[in-house]
Amino acid sequence: MSITPYRVLVGPEGYLPPAAASRGVLLPEKGEALIEGAIVPEEEAMQAIATKLLSAKNPFFFPGPQLLWDWKEGVAQKAQAVKRLADLAGARVIPMPDYRPKYPMINPAVEINPNHPNLTIWHNKIDLCVFIGVHCHYANMALKIIRGGTSCYTVALCGEAGHEDAMISLCCMGMPELAKLTEIIRTMKGEQAA
Amino acid sequence: MIEQKVVAPEYLFNEAEREEQFITGSEAVREAIRRANVDMAISYPITPQSESMHLVGDIYAEGYIKEYFRGENEFAVMSSVAGAAMGGVRVFTATGGPGTLRAFEAFPTWAGARLPVVCAFMTRGINSPLSIQPDTLEMAYMLDTGIIMLHAENSQDLYDMILQAFMIAEKPEVHIPVGVFVDGFFVTHTRDRVKIAPPDIKLPPYNPYSAPVPVMDMENPPIRQMRDPFVMKSNFISYAAHASWQQEILAAAERSRRHIAHYLGSLLEAENENAQVMIVASGTAVSQSREAIESARQEGLDVGLVKLKSLRPFPTEELKAVTANAKAVIVPEFNRVGWLAREVRAALEAKVKVVGGPRVFGGMTMPPDLILDEIRRCANE
Amino acid sequence: MSVKIIRPTAAFADLLPAEYLELAANGPYASPKTINDLGNFKEIIEEHPHCAGCGVALGVRLTAASLPAPADTLIVGTAGCSFFGLAQAALNYSCSAFGNQNAVASGLKRMLKIRYPDTHKDVVVLVGDGGIADIGLDLTLHSWFRREKIATIMVDNEVYGNTGGQESGMTQEGQVLNMAPKGKNFAKIPVFELAQVSGCVYCARVTVASPKKIGQVVRKAILLAREVGPTYVQIYTPCPTNFKFPPQQTINIAKKAEEGHYSFREFISDEAQAYWEKNFSSSA
Ligand SMILES: Cc1ncc(C[n+]2csc(CCOP(=O)(O)OP(=O)(O)O)c2C)c(N)n1
Ligand code: SF4
Ligand SMILES: [Mg+2]
Repeated sequence: MSITPYRVLVGPEGYLPPAAASRGVLLPEKGEALIEGAIVPEEEAMQAIATKLLSAKNPFFFPGPQLLWDWKEGVAQKAQAVKRLADLAGARVIPMPDYRPKYPMINPAVEINPNHPNLTIWHNKIDLCVFIGVHCHYANMALKIIRGGTSCYTVALCGEAGHEDAMISLCCMGMPELAKLTEIIRTMKGEQAA
Repeated sequence: MIEQKVVAPEYLFNEAEREEQFITGSEAVREAIRRANVDMAISYPITPQSESMHLVGDIYAEGYIKEYFRGENEFAVMSSVAGAAMGGVRVFTATGGPGTLRAFEAFPTWAGARLPVVCAFMTRGINSPLSIQPDTLEMAYMLDTGIIMLHAENSQDLYDMILQAFMIAEKPEVHIPVGVFVDGFFVTHTRDRVKIAPPDIKLPPYNPYSAPVPVMDMENPPIRQMRDPFVMKSNFISYAAHASWQQEILAAAERSRRHIAHYLGSLLEAENENAQVMIVASGTAVSQSREAIESARQEGLDVGLVKLKSLRPFPTEELKAVTANAKAVIVPEFNRVGWLAREVRAALEAKVKVVGGPRVFGGMTMPPDLILDEIRRCANE
Repeated sequence: MSVKIIRPTAAFADLLPAEYLELAANGPYASPKTINDLGNFKEIIEEHPHCAGCGVALGVRLTAASLPAPADTLIVGTAGCSFFGLAQAALNYSCSAFGNQNAVASGLKRMLKIRYPDTHKDVVVLVGDGGIADIGLDLTLHSWFRREKIATIMVDNEVYGNTGGQESGMTQEGQVLNMAPKGKNFAKIPVFELAQVSGCVYCARVTVASPKKIGQVVRKAILLAREVGPTYVQIYTPCPTNFKFPPQQTINIAKKAEEGHYSFREFISDEAQAYWEKNFSSSA
């Protein structure tokens, strides 16, 4: 643990950025969230996500396998809700269909892969991305690589414990949280338009 | 078999009324596994572990475990355990000494694949010369395998830590193996009073679909799924992915701190933490130190004790705090290499004198007088 | 299964890469395909980084196309060239430590049987000759002794391909290779015979020059492993890189071997034969 707390800031951070967890960043509890390494109330993080999303030049959602495939009850509705959220925020979507290092070559215009997420981010000039439906191990793996090599701002909407390696991370995301975030974005958009 | 009800882990650990039994360490393992809702256990004999896994076999026969068999050697057992864990179930096994080293390649493989296996290590000497006697040498090798390492002082710890280990290992953000280490014979083969929960309750089952990696069952996406890392091309991208993967394993262990503190109370326990001389120990070396401290206090010497319960992750900050006033730290150990003294020295960063020893090995007991001599020397310096 | 794990959610279906849409629409999951359908469906392994003309790549691809139920098949592999293609397979695959495949498969198979008592989850080991005959021989034999219900398939290139052409236990006697600078001085390890006496209820030996036969024996091995006991298939998969023949010669070399040391062989136990006749003989 370092004396000055480690901040999870937009990159490029350099050759091999550390895992934020190994630099003392703790995960949020239910009802809390992380902004740049600090624990905040969930509501505050949702506001921050909305602000970031609405001011980004080229925001993208990266839905993972758990949302791309209709494998269990509730997934189809959740995928719809995420799609609506992305549309509302004016973000485009690139899927992460699986986690294998892809052979022979990834097409960064149509997909993203956790082993080399930077390729997709560079190719599409993405300045903000939102991870959702990606298994936690692969999300963390990708988030560090993105922080190390790109200037993309990272957001993770996690159904489990959350992600220290994202710049903003929510945890325990279910349908109610998704609805709440959508509402916050809708309101903020309305205010901006007004 | 007694009909068992699933209860919250906190209830099983803290609230359920416990019965005190006078049992061996091996029997304490049986009682823990009886309440652990384990799907599969695999065994291979090695003294001083064998008795524990016989007893686990007995409760399998009674119906408490769904599957159990004797594998052909420790590497095979640890590999079968990996296969079962990849298939999304809760598994248990145990080994010790030469068995630990025979299986060695499996441990970093478990950690790297995010398998929440719980394995008990009943430590003993490593060849050569051949010895079945107590010795914690194997723990030196295990320190950097990526697994979480808890060290039990006595049968009570062993019982509690095995049950708690499942809960810690299976947290989605942790999800790496936990090794519960215990000094062979001294704990496994001696009787002690152990407080245990009623037999009609058990831990909640494991939920594989909260895991940080997909389950290998063709029932969860993605269908294209390589269950172990395969980032093996010769280019920078592969190296970076590999590095990030390894960092994530270390991060998982860091995240376990909170859960170890929640279930075990703390990563270390300290007594008389403002003392000038502190003993820092783990396992049965703690018990021997308690006796030495008792005598030292009668002589009017100012000495305190730190019992390390978690070695990986290592409680560096906590150790610094409880040794802040010490002018000397004594690290007694049951092995020849002094791995714990190395750890303590690294954690305390030369801010305090660390005395590596006394050390005994090859099955020798540690007379408290050896520790007392060291306390006297340090106190009078 | 779980065809559901390859069913796109409506919200994102139009964004999926083309290969996935094809796999979802025309893969071998909902209605299983056989090797005779090759060319008419989306295979679970197409792209791979093997050398040109690699016999292992062909063996792995033909095996993948022969699975009776890819939607419920799990492949356990190990280090070796076979993992290049298998890492790209559209099903669940794992490989942990070199040579431990049959032990991993044992734990996995037993647990899937418990988790899914009413579904056949086919656990298939698919690895190289070194992985089975040398470093993993004890674990392989013991899984057979224990009668684990696993199909074990060896892609035999008679060499350690992945590490640069060293002698393996399956190399032919006299062959000069790395680590056998004076030629190998003992015969191929008789894994087929070992399988027969160690509990396998079905064994077959084929080469990549006979894809239809591969289709038949792989299917049979997997179906028998479900109910009767362990099975073993050994496929000759020549390696142009380490035996230094032109890549277009792979099939010819395998063909020639069929007339020599790699003739077709099959063994089936009485119990397996009776089971087969009762349940599958019309479809065989
Ligand atoms: C414990 C261990 N020893 C050695 C290796 C190195 N190794 C990787 S693959 C391999 C040879 C594989 O040969 P084979 O099984 O015949 O497969 P092939 O590559 O020929 O398809 C070896 C020796 C390893 N990965 N692990
Ligand atoms: S070395 Fe041989 S077996 Fe390996 S990929 Fe190349 S041709 Fe195939
Ligand atoms: Mg080979």
